[in-house]
Amino acid sequence: MTAALDKAATAATIVADIGAGRTTATAVVEAALQRIAASEPTVNAFTDIVATRARARAAAVDAGAAKGPLAGVPFAVKNLFDVEGLSTRAGSVINVDRPAARRDAALVRRLEAAGAVLVGALNMGEYAYDFTGENAHYGPSRNPHDPGRMTGGSSGGSGAAVASGEVPFSLGSDTNGSVRVPSSLCGLFGLKPTYGRLSRAGSFLFVDSLDHLGPMARSVEDLALAFDAMQGPDPDDPVCTARPAEPVRGRLEEGIAGLRIAIAGGYFAQGGEPEAFEAVARAAKALGASRIVELPQAGIARSAAYIITAIEGAQLHLPRLRTRAGDFDPDTRERFMAGALLPGAWYVKAQRFRRLYRAAVLKIFEEVDVILAPATPCTAPTLGQTMMTIAGTTMPVRANLGLFTQPISFIGLPVAVAPLRTASGLPIGVQAIARPYGEQAALRVARHLEKLGVADATPA
Amino acid sequence: MSQDNPDYAALTDAAAALVDLPIAPEYRAKVIENVARSHAIARPLLALDLDDGLETGPTFRSEGP
Repeated sequence: MTAALDKAATAATIVADIGAGRTTATAVVEAALQRIAASEPTVNAFTDIVATRARARAAAVDAGAAKGPLAGVPFAVKNLFDVEGLSTRAGSVINVDRPAARRDAALVRRLEAAGAVLVGALNMGEYAYDFTGENAHYGPSRNPHDPGRMTGGSSGGSGAAVASGEVPFSLGSDTNGSVRVPSSLCGLFGLKPTYGRLSRAGSFLFVDSLDHLGPMARSVEDLALAFDAMQGPDPDDPVCTARPAEPVRGRLEEGIAGLRIAIAGGYFAQGGEPEAFEAVARAAKALGASRIVELPQAGIARSAAYIITAIEGAQLHLPRLRTRAGDFDPDTRERFMAGALLPGAWYVKAQRFRRLYRAAVLKIFEEVDVILAPATPCTAPTLGQTMMTIAGTTMPVRANLGLFTQPISFIGLPVAVAPLRTASGLPIGVQAIARPYGEQAALRVARHLEKLGVADATPA
Repeated sequence: MSQDNPDYAALTDAAAALVDLPIAPEYRAKVIENVARSHAIARPLLALDLDDGLETGPTFRSEGP
């Protein structure tokens, strides 16, 4: 068996093996479909498998009809991405009644244009209002490192599919942390790009002001391969930047020379379990970083992100809350309903504060290039767990797994998550946060940690 | 009722009527709880004084997408 058929195979390995004639796209996709069949009873990552489509696509790659930097690489997407012929569930049962998508989402089209092969759609928290990966309709996605634990969410299936080795990479969405939280709890590299960097066209959004899409993978190179294939303007998404693509793959081996790396203090140095801060300390030591910077008013940024999320999300779903309340997941329903009742003045104030906070944080980036912070306050909680005790304080799991991610996505900064192992064996992530459109700097830091063996995304 | 301790149940019922959102009795207690939690979370933001000149960062463009 070639390396490309193994569950630990990266996208880069698969491309190299197919390119060298050591295997075929068909063999790679069949191996992925077999792994999915074997793993699903344990991890519950997929809601839809498009085997017929994937086999046809793989055959086209083998026939030379589809080429590109991801030729023959299987991947899967959170089920809020449109996939032609499927209803875009967005984690709900309500959306299943909508007509099937007539066209793939923009990022799916771009990845397949680069030769990648879509194999299915992935489980997620309902309407992305979730940090746990649990779902009352489809069951929880389960953490491959311990199936009794959460994947984190809302891109829970995206985490489970990659961490179990079903596919080498997946796509998720991140409004307040939904790529970064499952990357942390499932032990994956994850990229939440700059707000507006990647087109969101053809995806079922949650909070327009804060929604990002991004890849999760077991190597930084794979993140870069996927990211580069997805970049570029898209008039179908009014938020998508007009900036030309800025490929990052060729820059990964530049290392960290010239990067000024700091550690987030204050808000980001409290409110977590020791393992979260130990991971940051280990990463910082490996990177030679010792400077502490403080993001002012980060706690208020989290409050403002919460209010914007509650109100925009509720407004989107208000018609369904009026007519189909009983069909919502009990873990989202009353939160959405409450959001519909909050004052508009709170929302506008949160949006005004967003601009103030952005200015303050961008000032810090005049002196540093990358800031390290924990991705989650703890390792994966157990499935069904509703409360957790962090640093001696008992708090709801659902609201607080995104404690350290919300103040960053609030202003759209790019973040690469690097996974480290804790003493318990469970993974936890470190965020490498860069200035807007500085994805290359965040990914270079993650790559450096990977090369040193400090970060490790070996599948379970 | 005071600003520090609003009557969240009354506010929930009134606001639900205003936005035409029927709330079934079995959901009402959790909705009220979430309204109260949202207020608690919003308080630090609401306590801030913002400069009159501070505008939001809109993405709307009058010429189109």
